[in-house]
Amino acid sequence: MTEHLLLALQAAADTSRAYGEFPVIGARQWIWITAEVHLMFAAFVLGVPMFAVVTEAIGIFGHDDRYDRLSKEFTRLLLVAYSATAIWGTMLVFALSTLYPRFWAYLTAIFAPSMWLYAALFLIESFTLYLYYYGWDRWKKGRAKLWHWTLGILLNVWGTIVMFIANSWLTYMMSPPRDITPTTDPTTIKLWHAISNATWMPINVHRLIANVVFGGAIVGAYASYRFLAARTDEERAHYDWMGYVGNFIAMSALIVLPFAGYWLGREIYQYDQSMGITMMGGFMSWLWVIQAFLIAVLFLTGNYYLWIGMGRIPGAERFQPYTKYLLIVLVLGAIVWGTPHTMIADSKELAAMGGSHHPFLGALGVMSAKNTAVNLMILTTFLSFLLYRRANKRPVVPWARTGTLIQATMFAIAAAIVLFYGIRGYFVEAIVRIGFSVYQVLAVLSCILFVTVIDVLMARGAQSLGTIQWGKMPPRSQYALFILAVTFTWLMGLMGFARSGIRQYWHVWQVMQDTSKYAATPALGYASKMISLCVLIFLSLVAFVFWLGGLAEKSTYVAEKGPGRVGH
Amino acid sequence: MWATNLKIVGIVLGTLAVYTLIANKIPQVESEVPQTLTLGANVTPEQLVAAGEKVFNGIGGCTTCHGLGTRAPNLLTDEKGTGPIGARCGKREAGKTCKQYLYESLDQPTAYIVAGYQPIMPVMTKQLSPQQIWAVIAFLESQGGTVDVSTSDIPATSPASPTSAGGAGGAAGAGGAGGAAFAGGSTDPKAIIQAAGCLACHKLDGQGQVIAPDLTHVGSRRGAESIRRKILDPASSTAKGYERLAGIMPKAFGTMMNAAQLEALVQYLAAHK
Repeated sequence: MTEHLLLALQAAADTSRAYGEFPVIGARQWIWITAEVHLMFAAFVLGVPMFAVVTEAIGIFGHDDRYDRLSKEFTRLLLVAYSATAIWGTMLVFALSTLYPRFWAYLTAIFAPSMWLYAALFLIESFTLYLYYYGWDRWKKGRAKLWHWTLGILLNVWGTIVMFIANSWLTYMMSPPRDITPTTDPTTIKLWHAISNATWMPINVHRLIANVVFGGAIVGAYASYRFLAARTDEERAHYDWMGYVGNFIAMSALIVLPFAGYWLGREIYQYDQSMGITMMGGFMSWLWVIQAFLIAVLFLTGNYYLWIGMGRIPGAERFQPYTKYLLIVLVLGAIVWGTPHTMIADSKELAAMGGSHHPFLGALGVMSAKNTAVNLMILTTFLSFLLYRRANKRPVVPWARTGTLIQATMFAIAAAIVLFYGIRGYFVEAIVRIGFSVYQVLAVLSCILFVTVIDVLMARGAQSLGTIQWGKMPPRSQYALFILAVTFTWLMGLMGFARSGIRQYWHVWQVMQDTSKYAATPALGYASKMISLCVLIFLSLVAFVFWLGGLAEKSTYVAEKGPGRVGH
Repeated sequence: MWATNLKIVGIVLGTLAVYTLIANKIPQVESEVPQTLTLGANVTPEQLVAAGEKVFNGIGGCTTCHGLGTRAPNLLTDEKGTGPIGARCGKREAGKTCKQYLYESLDQPTAYIVAGYQPIMPVMTKQLSPQQIWAVIAFLESQGGTVDVSTSDIPATSPASPTSAGGAGGAAGAGGAGGAAFAGGSTDPKAIIQAAGCLACHKLDGQGQVIAPDLTHVGSRRGAESIRRKILDPASSTAKGYERLAGIMPKAFGTMMNAAQLEALVQYLAAHK
């Protein structure tokens, strides 16, 4: 009898404890903040090591100590950032287990072994980082340096596996395998079956690239702060160069990111068309207009930074007249990309438009136009970079003129392919049209690849028109890097909302319903306030990390001997 | 340096403010948890229209196809010069009032396919409760026409439909099972297939549409157990080549027929080799 009573009481307690409440701001808001800030730090500590290991390799194999020092400076920032990541991660776990205990119990019932592995790998990753950083000066030469670099690679391997594990939990919430139903006992679900769900790998790839973008942007912001605070020309030159490298890596990875996004979007549609339609044409449709605006800001600001940077390069004046045309393409592309198309409109709005689409803008709001716009924006950004790269060089190879003509032809062909399939897309069925985006992407990527190869070959033995005057940048260029960092971070928050929000009132899509008072998914206005708050918390803490980094050790800048380098 | 710091803080806060402001200036759409629709005995046409608009834009999922101009006819705006649906529904089929036409379009969507469109619409009377169906009809009538839906049209109970408006999946399971089922509980598989509207998407013995897999030889591809599982849980498997239609097949069939009907249907289909 007593046993039955206890069981009944336990059952009642379990039911009543499906959800907890957090004081003042509420449970969902607290989960939102802890998850988002944790994710931002996690992206930082995953992106920056990729950055560090690449720059260290350039330093080793290019025999350029500047890159090695740069790499060490990045790694120093990681030490405190790791602690912050772990602290926010712990807060998130405590928040989930106390505010959403039933859901958390469900997840742990499936994923417990992966959670143990996650914790173990995080520990190993942390100690690898300590070895990597504190061993920097000890293992500086010869074979020991290569071992040190291997530690950097290992750091990335652990970090990537940790991210893949965490991604499996959140992608399971989005796209649980189809044989799992509300009545499936979670303890009977095979771990690998749950991990290898439909959106796991697309999210893995998308986040991996996005972390590089994010790491580059944050490093760029750090460099710009140090640039503005620099007391000497030499220090200013060092941080100007660092900011350039950060921005270059962020923009380069950004160019590839939309393609990973297409793949993820396609997988979402294939997994569940209604989820895809909710994302692109349902209550989230306006989100993509905001996203287009943010990406337009990124492209314009990134290009603006490059164009200002040409002011410090002798010989760049040859190319500066072209920047206004590049600007026109970018602005037109941004306008087309930001044109709304499929979205929920009430009957009055529909009547005002005279149909479900605006008579003129409707034609620009479709994917054919948008894909064309974004591909042309990518090509334009690449052209900006190419002009920047060639600014102070005059090729001396005998085939230089032919090479330049081939490059120009490749640009023209890529643009023509993008435009052709963009226009053709209006006259074919949707399923055929979707396939056209692959041809457009391939044309752009091929152009970038082949033009770069030709450019590298043409630059061999190139005549220098003068060294880059590192440090001779107006302050506004550095503020542009801040805008890039804030925009990247905000965009990350927005996309996180999109990914999580398309589940709507489900903890686990069509398997476990959210029955809390926070089940409704808020509108974009509310979400934007939460995103801004999270970004502000993150950036404030990052500023603190940077300040601590400055306290702990002086700048790794060491004055250059002799003239600066021609290369970038 | 303080001036620089202040400028940086100003730029960060200014950028955040601009993004937040823009996101708050655009139309605000919240994804609400679907609620059960309860209509009182004295419901007015205005209340019906308002309720129907919510269903149309929400749980009904109508905006997924209607209004995009490519998948299904516009309903709220002009369709090829014939006006919005309320203005044209009474003229679509001779001898049928607007109300009759709309109800039959929701109950038997393949009966009246508008030229130029594919028969992709699911049987909405199987997806929504009668209250929701009639509220949607009132809303559609209000689009350029006269609302003549009244309480007398709305049955007091919902014998054959899942009454929950809790959305797809697990929340919708309460209705139907144990109550009256398809085709008045008949175990004639053909009657069940007709009542369930299977041929709106599937082809069987030369009849029906080819949107979803042809069932004529389904028994050679799937055993009885597989067919049963597919009906009870459509998401359990997807036929090769039809991945893009995953999630389209209604999930509620299993709760809308009794055990004898289910077995009759399964055995009938399994015999189609």
